Amino acid sequence: MNKEKKILSNAEIIDLSLFFPKEKILVITDLHLGYEEALIKQGTFLPRFNLKDSINKLKKIFAKTKKLNKIIILGDLKHEFGFISEQEWREVIQMLSFLSENSKEIILLKGNHDNILGPIAKWKNLTLEDFFFLEKQKILFLHGDKILSLKEFQKAKTLIIGHEHPAVTLTEETKKEKFKCFIKGKYKKKDLIVLPSFNTTTEGTDITQKKLLSPFLKQNLGNFEVWITADKTYFFGKIKDFHS
Amino acid sequence: MISFQKEKYSEKQIHSMLNPLLSEWFKEKFDSFTEPQKYSIPNIHNKQNTLVSAVTGSGKTLSAFTAVLNELINLSENNQLENKVYAVYISPLRALNNDIKRNLLEPLNEIEKKFELKQKQEIAETKKEINKLKKELKELEKNKKQLKNKEKESIKNKIKEKELVSGKTLSQKQKLKPKKLDIRIGVRTGDTTQSERALMARKVPHILITTPESLAIMLNAPKFRENFRESQWLIIDEIHALANNKRGSHLSISMERLQKLSPKITRIGLSATIAPIKEIARFLVGLEKGKTRNCRIIEAKLEKKLNLKVLSPLPNFIDVTQEQVQEKLYELLDKLIQDHKTTLIFTNTRSATERIVHHLKEKFPKNYSANIDAHHSSLSRTHRLNTEERLKKGELKVVVSSTSLELGIDIGFIDLVVLLGSPKSVARALQRVGRSGHKLHDEIKGRLIVMDRDDLIECSVLLKNAVEHKIDRIQVPKNPLDVLSQQIYGIAIEESQKVEEVYQLIIQAYPFSSLKRSSFYEIIDYLSGKFTSLENRHVYAKIWFDEETGFIGKRGKMARIIYMTNIGTIPDEARVTVKIKEHKIGSIDEGFLERLKRGDVFILGGQSYEFRYAQGMTAQVITAYQRPPTVPSWFSEMLPLSFDLALDIGKFRELIGQKFKLKKPEKEIKNLIRKYVYVEENAVNAIYEYFKEQFLFLEMPSQKKLLIEVFSEGNMRHAIFHSLYGRRVNDALSRAYAFALSKLIHKDVELSITDNGFVLSVNTKLPLDKMLKSVTSSELKKILVFAIEKTEVLNRRFRHCAVRSLMILRSYKGRTKTAGRQQMASRLLISAVRRIDNNFPILNEARREVLEDLMDIENAEKVLQGIESGLIETKIIFSDIPSPFAFNLFLQGRMDVMKMEDKIQFLKRLHEQIQERIKSK
Repeated sequence: MNKEKKILSNAEIIDLSLFFPKEKILVITDLHLGYEEALIKQGTFLPRFNLKDSINKLKKIFAKTKKLNKIIILGDLKHEFGFISEQEWREVIQMLSFLSENSKEIILLKGNHDNILGPIAKWKNLTLEDFFFLEKQKILFLHGDKILSLKEFQKAKTLIIGHEHPAVTLTEETKKEKFKCFIKGKYKKKDLIVLPSFNTTTEGTDITQKKLLSPFLKQNLGNFEVWITADKTYFFGKIKDFHS
Repeated sequence: MISFQKEKYSEKQIHSMLNPLLSEWFKEKFDSFTEPQKYSIPNIHNKQNTLVSAVTGSGKTLSAFTAVLNELINLSENNQLENKVYAVYISPLRALNNDIKRNLLEPLNEIEKKFELKQKQEIAETKKEINKLKKELKELEKNKKQLKNKEKESIKNKIKEKELVSGKTLSQKQKLKPKKLDIRIGVRTGDTTQSERALMARKVPHILITTPESLAIMLNAPKFRENFRESQWLIIDEIHALANNKRGSHLSISMERLQKLSPKITRIGLSATIAPIKEIARFLVGLEKGKTRNCRIIEAKLEKKLNLKVLSPLPNFIDVTQEQVQEKLYELLDKLIQDHKTTLIFTNTRSATERIVHHLKEKFPKNYSANIDAHHSSLSRTHRLNTEERLKKGELKVVVSSTSLELGIDIGFIDLVVLLGSPKSVARALQRVGRSGHKLHDEIKGRLIVMDRDDLIECSVLLKNAVEHKIDRIQVPKNPLDVLSQQIYGIAIEESQKVEEVYQLIIQAYPFSSLKRSSFYEIIDYLSGKFTSLENRHVYAKIWFDEETGFIGKRGKMARIIYMTNIGTIPDEARVTVKIKEHKIGSIDEGFLERLKRGDVFILGGQSYEFRYAQGMTAQVITAYQRPPTVPSWFSEMLPLSFDLALDIGKFRELIGQKFKLKKPEKEIKNLIRKYVYVEENAVNAIYEYFKEQFLFLEMPSQKKLLIEVFSEGNMRHAIFHSLYGRRVNDALSRAYAFALSKLIHKDVELSITDNGFVLSVNTKLPLDKMLKSVTSSELKKILVFAIEKTEVLNRRFRHCAVRSLMILRSYKGRTKTAGRQQMASRLLISAVRRIDNNFPILNEARREVLEDLMDIENAEKVLQGIESGLIETKIIFSDIPSPFAFNLFLQGRMDVMKMEDKIQFLKRLHEQIQERIKSK
C-alpha cells in the first residue's frame, strides 16, 4: 500500500506536517491562530474552532512521532498583521505550551503575519528567526513570502516553505473537490517543498487556478509533484499530468 | 374576515363623500371614476382594509389615495392638520416612489389653487357683506334720531356675528389673505439626503412615500417613529411583487410594528392581477387575536381589450437550424417595431436583452441607432433613468428589457409589447403586456414570439389562460427565520420588552402566523448567543435575554448602527468580472464560475472565451475564436414555469393525445387545437405535427401520465422523465430520485432539469422500479434534506440567510463586504455552524428556502401523492433515440450532479486512476 513516492528520502508526511524521524523534527506551518477573531472584527461571527482542531490534529501526530527534539513552525503562527488580538494572545500561549510539552525545542520562523511576536518569543525554549538551516542535511526552512539573501541559501539543497497554503481541486465532469496538498518542485536547481497550512478553517489556495503569492512559486508549476493529504497521503504525480 | 366587494358605488354616492374641491377636481379631470375606484373609494373612506387588484393604468393609485386626500383636505380646511404622518405609502421600487409623488402633487397643486380661489371668493364676499352692513349702519346712524335703539343693536350684532366667524376684528378681516392647504408629501428612501431627512423631521410629511427597507429604518429611529403614532392609512403598492418573497416577509412584521403605534390604521393593498387573491389579502391585513383582520377585496374587471397573439418566426420548426430561426426572428421583430409607434420588448435574461439590441442595430442600421436602448438591472441607475426619461419623451422607438420594466413606473406611450420566449406565468405575461396602452380605455396589445416547438405550446396555453383569465398561483414564504432574526433584533433595539409580547406581535404577521413558539425561541437563543460558551457570548450575542424576567433588549453601543446599515433582505448578487489580462469583458454569475474548469469554452456577449483561472471575483479568459462552447449557457436567471400553467399544458397534451389514440382525422384534431388555444394557422399546424410525431414515435405524456423514457448512449443510461410540472417541482423530484438512485448504485448520478421534465444519467445499471418506490410523498422532505446537503445551492442560500440574520454583516465599521467576501465568510461559517448543531436555525432556514422557495416541495409532494393514489400513471418505456419531446430536455437541461461518493471516496478513486496512469508511463 505505501509504496508511494516519498516526498523526501529522510522525511515523511503525517497529516499536514512533515516529519524527520531520524532527527525527530516536526515541521508545520501557517496555523493562523486568531483567524476567527479577525473575521469577527470584519463582521463575520465565526465560532471558534481553529485552536481546538489544531491541537486535536497535533495530538494524533504526536502519538505517532513520540517526543520530539524540534518543532519548526514555518511562520504565520498567528493571523493578525501588526498587532496581537486578545484571542491570539491567549491561543498562541496555549498552543506554545502544548507544543513545548511535546518537544524539547520550538523554532518559530517569522511569517508575514507574525510582525509582533516579540513578547511571546520570550518563551523559555522558543527561538524566533527568519530562517532555520539544517547544516548536515543542507535543508533551509523559510516562510516563503520573500527571498532572503543568505549564505545558507547558497549552501542549501532543499528549501522548505509555507506561506502559500497550497491545495488542489480535483474535477471530474461537473464534480469538484478541493484538498490540501504538499507540493514539490525546483527553485534555482534546489528542491522546493511547500507545506499546506495547518489551519483547519480554510482549505487553501488552488495552485492550478489562482495566481500564487510566493516569489518561489512565480514559475511554471507543471513539473511540480503533488501529495494530497486527507485520511492519509496520496501521491498524485505531476500537476501537468493529472490536471488536464 | 376576507370578503369580496361585489357592489359598485355610483358616481353620485362617491362625489357626495368627497370634499367639494376634490369632487370638482375629479369632474374636471376625468369623465368618470374607473372601475376599481367605484368599488374602493367609499370603502377606504370608511376606513375598511381594502385590496384592489387591477391591471396597471386603471387608476389604482387614485383608488387608494382619493379617500386619503379627501380627509387631509378636510382636516386642513378645518385647521386640524397636525405635524405627523397620516398615510404611509410603500412600494418595492424606488423609481416608483418619485413617480407617485409626482402623481399626487399634480392633484394637490391643482386643488390648492382651487382652494385659494375659493377662499379669495369667500373673502371677497365677506368683505362685500361687511361693507354692505357697514353702509347700512352708517345710513342708520345718519338717521340715528329716528332710530330705535333696539334696531341699532341688531345691526351691530349682525356685524359682530360676521366678525366672529373667524374670530377676527373687522379691520383684521379686511386684511385677510387666503391660507394654504399645505398638505405635505415626502419621499424617504436610501437616496434621501441627510438634509432632506432633517427637514422631514421638522416638517413631517403627511403622506410618506417609502420602501419596505426605509420603513423598517424609520420604525427604529427613536424620534421619527413618534410621527407614526395614530397614522391612519398604510398603502402597499405592487403587493404581488412583495408577497411571494422575503422582502414581503420582512415588510409583514414592519406592518405589525406600525400597527402597534397606530392601532386603528387602515391597510390598503394595490396589486396587479394575481392569484390566489385571498392569500394576498391575508398577507396584507395580518391577524389579530389569531383571526384574520377584515379585508374587502376588489377585483376589477379588465376594461381594456386584450389583443394577444402567439407569433412564430417560421411556419414550423422542422429541419431548421438555430441560425435560420435567429435570422427570421430579427426580420419579424423589425417588422413589428416598424408597424408600431413605440415597442417594448421583454426577454427572459439580461444577456438576451443585450443580444437583441446588438443584432437589431447590426442587421437594420438604418432603422436602429439612437432610437433603441436596453434596460435591465445590471445596467447602471443613470443609464436606466435616462432610458426611462427618453421613453417618456417618446424619443425611443424600441426598448428591450428583462424584468426591470415590469413594474409600474409610468413609461409613457407604448403601443406594442413583445414577449420573446415564454414569460412562464400568466400573471407575468399580463403584467408585461399591461405596459402597453398605459392609458385608460385603450387596448392592450401583446405578441408572444416563440423560438421552438415547446415554447410554442407553452405560449399557446399561456395565451389561452390569459384570455380566459386563469391566473397561476403564487406562494407566500412561511416563517423565514432569517427575516425573523433581523426583525427581532430591530424590535429589541427599539426598547427592552417582554419576549412573549414580541412573539404575539410576530404571529400577527400573516407569513409568521404559523410560527411555532419553539422556532421563535431558537431565534432568541441564536440572537442572545446561547450557541457559544458563556465566556464567548459577549462576542456573538446581539441581544440580551433575561430568562427570569422574560425580557429582551439591545446589546452594545453599536447595535443601532449595525442594524440600520444592514437592514434588508435582497441578497447581493455575486457577479464575477471576466477579464482578458486587465481588459474587462463583462461579467458572469458566480454559480456559473463554479462550474468552469480550465480550458472550458463559454459564450459571453456573443463571443467565445476560454476560461483560464479565477482570482477572487475575477475570471481570466482568452478569446476562443469560433470555438463551440464546452459548457452550455447556464440559465441561472431563467424564470421557472408556474406549476398551474404546467398542469394546463399537460391537460392540453392529454386532450390531443386522446384524439390521436382514437385515430381521429387530422382535420378534427386541428379544429380542436384551433378552438382550444387561440392561435393562427401556422401554429395549429406546428402543434399538430409536433404532437403527432411524439405520439407516433413513443407515446403522449400528460399531467396524468408520467412517462419515463429510457435510452442508452455508449455506456451511459438515461432516464428521461416527461414530468411537465415546472422547474421548481422538477428540481425537487429529480434530486429526490437522483439521491435515491445514487444510494442504490453507489455512484454519482448526473441530472439535467427543465420545466418540461428531467433526465437522470448513470454509467451503470438503472434500477428504476426500486428507485421509484423509494421516493414517497411522506419521505420526500427527508430525502431532499439529505440530497441538497452538499450542493452549491445550499451554500449560496446559506450565505443569503447568514447575511439576513446578521451572522455576516454586509456593512460593518464603515466597510462593505462584496458578495465574494460574503461567500468566503459563509463557507467558513456553514461548516462551523454544522459542528455546533446540524439543526442550527439559520442553516435550517437555508434548507427551507431551497426546498420551499427555490424548489416547490409542496407541489412535488402532490405529484407523488398522485402517483401513489394512481391518479398519475407512471410508465417506463424504452427507446433507441430520444423522442421528439425528449429532445429539448436533453438540449436545454441545467446540468448538475448528485454527489453520492464522499470526498475521500472520490479522492481514492481518482488516485487509483492517477496511479494507473503513472505506472503506464
